[in-house]
Amino acid sequence: MKTSGTAKWQRGLFIASFTIPTLAFFCVFTIYPVIKALYYSLFDWSGMSDHMDFIGLQNFKDMLRDPIVWQALGNDYFLVVGKIVGIMLLATFFAVALTRFGFRMSGFFRSIYFIPNVISVVVIGVLWNFIYNPQIGFLNAFLSLFTKEPVAITWLGFTSHTIWMLLPPSVWAGIGFYMILLIAAIQNVPDSLYEAAELEGANQWHQFCHITLPLVWEQMKVSIINIMMTTLNGSFVIVWIMTEGGPDNTTQVMGSYLYQMAFRQYHFGFGAAIGVLILVTSLITTVALQRLLHRETIEMS
Amino acid sequence: MKLGLRNPAAKTIFYAILLVWSLAVLYPLAWTLLDALKNNAQFLANAPWALPKLPLLWSNFSYVWDKYNFDAYFVNSLVITAGSTALGLLLSASTAYVLARYSFKGSGLLYLFYIASMMVPFVLALIPLFFLLNSLHLINTWFGLILVYASSVLAFGVFVLVGFFKSLPKELEESAVIDGASYYGTFFRIMLPLSQPGLVTVAIINVLNIWNEYVVGTVLINDPKQYTLPVEIGVLQAEMQYRTEWGPLFAALLITIIPVLVVYILFQRKIASGITAGAVK
Repeated sequence: MKTSGTAKWQRGLFIASFTIPTLAFFCVFTIYPVIKALYYSLFDWSGMSDHMDFIGLQNFKDMLRDPIVWQALGNDYFLVVGKIVGIMLLATFFAVALTRFGFRMSGFFRSIYFIPNVISVVVIGVLWNFIYNPQIGFLNAFLSLFTKEPVAITWLGFTSHTIWMLLPPSVWAGIGFYMILLIAAIQNVPDSLYEAAELEGANQWHQFCHITLPLVWEQMKVSIINIMMTTLNGSFVIVWIMTEGGPDNTTQVMGSYLYQMAFRQYHFGFGAAIGVLILVTSLITTVALQRLLHRETIEMS
Repeated sequence: MKLGLRNPAAKTIFYAILLVWSLAVLYPLAWTLLDALKNNAQFLANAPWALPKLPLLWSNFSYVWDKYNFDAYFVNSLVITAGSTALGLLLSASTAYVLARYSFKGSGLLYLFYIASMMVPFVLALIPLFFLLNSLHLINTWFGLILVYASSVLAFGVFVLVGFFKSLPKELEESAVIDGASYYGTFFRIMLPLSQPGLVTVAIINVLNIWNEYVVGTVLINDPKQYTLPVEIGVLQAEMQYRTEWGPLFAALLITIIPVLVVYILFQRKIASGITAGAVK
């Protein structure tokens, strides 16, 4: 069927009216700011006036010489690795237990486990601050049940270990989401495979290693990369609420340092450069993880 | 054939682990409620798991609501969440429909553009967004946050809804066209009502994300009257180091949590399907 000139014109108008406003809007409020950030990163700029000094790559040079940036970078990757290990182990365990172990009430558990994912990270941070609180906190009170004398540990105060304290709330808050993803993937695996395995006498562990794991590996890869990206892009909130990057910058992450440099110390160009560093590291890490995880699939099959 | 664990000892152990984690999730929430009903003396004198003394201090809630202007923050959060969800949905649904049903020059590229943008960290845009909104005089306004949030959920909406529109049968549209419906008529009268389940899923995920959002809110709002709930919680926590009004702070946390818990309880299935559809591929 050949469309006439007017019909073609109408079709074009329809397509344009349904794509161009969205695209324009998206470009103004998401794409333009991203490009503008790349631009700002080349300037020395306090944000207070229109005066901007073009300094080329100086911000990046300063950034690489700034020990706090390295500290932040290290902390980001500490959280990435810690969260990937903690979340994936527990989410996988729960996903398998709730689909393949034949438990009653698995729907109930599933609903409960997802709850932390609907709560604001700010609320989670405040809540865990009270768990760690040295005077009225849950953790110290709990420990003093065993020591028989009051425990008064300042959990968020050891400079060398405070970053560890950010892992439990992050893992606690992240499990449900990845568990749901893995449950959906596991439910796609045909039952007949498990039935055949059972007839051959394979136990649950064998079934997990030889059926579940290889068949949901794609989804696991997606989950691991997603954890990495959300951590590099968003660990700022939990850090800011729980420690503000302290004590002594030991829990600083790139996001919190960006915020501090830009909106507290008015080095907007430097802040933008940290933003570029976040973009570059998350892209490089995505590619690296894709490669790394891809190889393992081949070895397994 | 019945699959599952058969060893009763193993079954008991795994069941116990599942129960322990349920407790680990629910206890902090129950604790929040109990602590919201205590006064400072009870915090200092008793173990954190002690039940609140009678009479329960429900007044902590009204105190936070009145003295700390939580009525205003609640309205701010409500308007901003509703506004940006609606705008984000309208914009993403229209584009998603065209991308799913029409092939035109650059349609593949456009789709890729939205998907690729999900890889870019949003913090990168934070500084320019502040100056952009500043120059548009939209700092400290509902409208400013609505625009930014709507834009931030757009790509996710396009991604999920393209998949959803593609899953709908083509015959319905074809018969509508034969009956003489225009492109717009087909979309608004046939496709939009049919895609309601997909739209609801995307809307709910967006509502949860926007209601809980903190970073953008903190940067784009500096007038205390215009704070959203999470932004105020962050500020309140810092202030509480000097004021030590713990009971009211816990009440404030609950005021922030309860609406999302209600949404979650009502729409669990939708949320799960949205997550499954929207996992970054």
